[in-house]
Amino acid sequence: MTSTFLRHELKAFWRSKNTGKSIAVRIVMALLILYFLVIISVIGFSLDKFLEKAAGSEMMVTYCGIILLYYLTDLFTRLQLQDLPTLRVQPYLQLPVKRNSLVRYLAFTALFSVFNLWPFLLFVPFVFKVIAPVSGGLVTLAFVVSIAGLTVFNNYLALYIKRKANLNGWVFLIAAAAVILIGLSDFMWHLFSIRNFSYLFFGGLIHHPVLAIAPLLLGVAMYYLNFLYLKDNLYLEELGSRKASKYKNSTDYPLLNIFGNIGDLVGNEIKLIFRNKRSRSAFIMGLFIMFYGLMFYTNPKMNAEGYKVFVSMFMTGIFIINYGQFMYSWQASHFDGLLVSKIKFVDFLKAKYLLFTIISTFFLLLTTPYAYFGWKTLVIEIIMYLWNIGVNATIVLFFANRNYKRMDLSKGAAFNWEGIGSNQWILSLPLLITPYIIYGPLALLHYANTGLALLGLIGLTGVLTRGFWIKKLEADFYNKRYTIAEGFRNR
Amino acid sequence: MIEIKDLKKVYGGAVVVNVPELRIYKGESVGLVGNNGAGKTTLFRMILDLIRPDTGLVSSNGENVAGHENWKNYTASYLDEGFLIDYLTPEEYFYFIGGLHQQSRPHVDDFLAGLTDFFNGEILKKGKYIRDLSKGNQCKVGVASCLLQNPELLMLDEPFANIDPSTQFRLKSILKELNKNRGVTTLISSHDLNHITDVCDRVLLMEKGIIIKDIATSSSTLNELEEYFGVGQIEPEKIGGTA
Repeated sequence: MTSTFLRHELKAFWRSKNTGKSIAVRIVMALLILYFLVIISVIGFSLDKFLEKAAGSEMMVTYCGIILLYYLTDLFTRLQLQDLPTLRVQPYLQLPVKRNSLVRYLAFTALFSVFNLWPFLLFVPFVFKVIAPVSGGLVTLAFVVSIAGLTVFNNYLALYIKRKANLNGWVFLIAAAAVILIGLSDFMWHLFSIRNFSYLFFGGLIHHPVLAIAPLLLGVAMYYLNFLYLKDNLYLEELGSRKASKYKNSTDYPLLNIFGNIGDLVGNEIKLIFRNKRSRSAFIMGLFIMFYGLMFYTNPKMNAEGYKVFVSMFMTGIFIINYGQFMYSWQASHFDGLLVSKIKFVDFLKAKYLLFTIISTFFLLLTTPYAYFGWKTLVIEIIMYLWNIGVNATIVLFFANRNYKRMDLSKGAAFNWEGIGSNQWILSLPLLITPYIIYGPLALLHYANTGLALLGLIGLTGVLTRGFWIKKLEADFYNKRYTIAEGFRNR
Repeated sequence: MIEIKDLKKVYGGAVVVNVPELRIYKGESVGLVGNNGAGKTTLFRMILDLIRPDTGLVSSNGENVAGHENWKNYTASYLDEGFLIDYLTPEEYFYFIGGLHQQSRPHVDDFLAGLTDFFNGEILKKGKYIRDLSKGNQCKVGVASCLLQNPELLMLDEPFANIDPSTQFRLKSILKELNKNRGVTTLISSHDLNHITDVCDRVLLMEKGIIIKDIATSSSTLNELEEYFGVGQIEPEKIGGTA
């Protein structure tokens, strides 16, 4: 059965409207992964040398100490980057396909992630080179089993949190905050030491290899939790919208009325964002990015202006990057209706700009307290805000004209995970790199302020010349609209 | 009102629509019938500029629909749920559509009050988003939003398919009233031959993308159509043995 699902998934991939784009993304991904694999293998195979140099006779203690630390960072990275395995389950539910095999497929394919390879490459060579000759086969096995167990545990814990977060963005915020707090309470507040704890366990493993059962059990338990969660939701999916729900009120945003029709369109899109789980999560995850300032600015090494440019762009533009790159797919289910109703496409575009401006302004206001780290932080934030609404907004809309993939918001969010993970960040790379093409060289030549001024100027020009860009985008849209509409009709 | 010239659409080598010439005049009520895959919906979509024709053009009031937006001012259409903004409540949707046509909220409320029978208490003030309504009720929302726009041209694709019998009859009388008393041009497709011959003055029969019959409705039209669609049906006389 699993092989059938895999074949169907492959067909879905190759026959999708966006295959070209997906392949490009995958190639970039593959290159990046290869690069990291090489680096990590090198580190892994020479870990004993590194540690010998750094810690000398304390090598074993240090090695055992960093393992858990690694897994904590690993969890944090996974939360942001790991992709969730997808399968459109609905067509199989009424067929004589065992629920368990559906769920097993989803749960099992999750193991095929490069994140699961890294710990092995990083820690296992050391086990064979240093531990095996001294402590023998059983202890070696115990180490390998523990590492495998923890990897599986982390894998499914991250997926579990991500799945929950898809239904409720706050879960993600809380989980990420928890991981950060654990890290801070070790390194900033010295409440406890993860390294000591890690040494306690892995050091103990040398004398009592039986302990390896504990991480293994953790891994199995986490897998099982995922399995049960998926199975439950499979059932929910089936019942779907039939669930009795509370009274839905009509709402109105009187402030937007001053913009007339454009305001109405923005009002609708705001409703779209908050009434659909998936888009709501995109917004709430944007709130999480607001913490980036805390993470970077408190760290003296990362308090440089170059980082501030990056962080500020991210914080004020996260919504444009995160939500914008799926435009107009959010509206795929009623795109035909938009095309035939009395909406000028110019207004449609103006509404997008207005939406971006409103939400970016909101995020800019949220980040103003970072002025605490120097007034220039605020200046950079404002400059990057201008850049976002002036330049990035246009770039995002340019790509929106090239996005033909339907996204069904009304279908249960529990199984709708496309584009949440590393793929998404790769698509936003061009957005993240462009300002550095201008700022980078100037900063290297010690004209950092000129670079900033230039960024601000370009951003401002972008805002002031919006009319021009809207015309360009409109002309572009007229060529593409049939393809977009057809792609969106393509379920 | 609508003029079609040399309209052709080909998908993967198969001709889906091929209409050399068709004119629909102001005030006509036209029905479109044909089996699945005859090209009805594709024709509708080309008239609404949702699909690019391979050759030919559709003009509405003398202006090509592709590249112009004037036709949107007087054309209302509902082809499928893809025309509805499904995360809005019906009220919000009606206000939105009304707003596009510069109608105030009280005006929209007034108008909706007139549709109480048609809605049968299942649409307004139910506290549901459109996506939570049944297909039939979604169809009611779609049709009502068309009426709200005060169109000169009304296009509906299989409006009778998902709604209950009472609503079907109400919809028929609404359509007749619009056409006869207010001169609205209507273009409706359906699989229900009874309804279509009842509502429409002119019936177009499509087969494999081609309009093979263009009939002014008369008392014999229903029989003529039934004969066409009843391919291979055993005739009652032969079962009974006597004529």
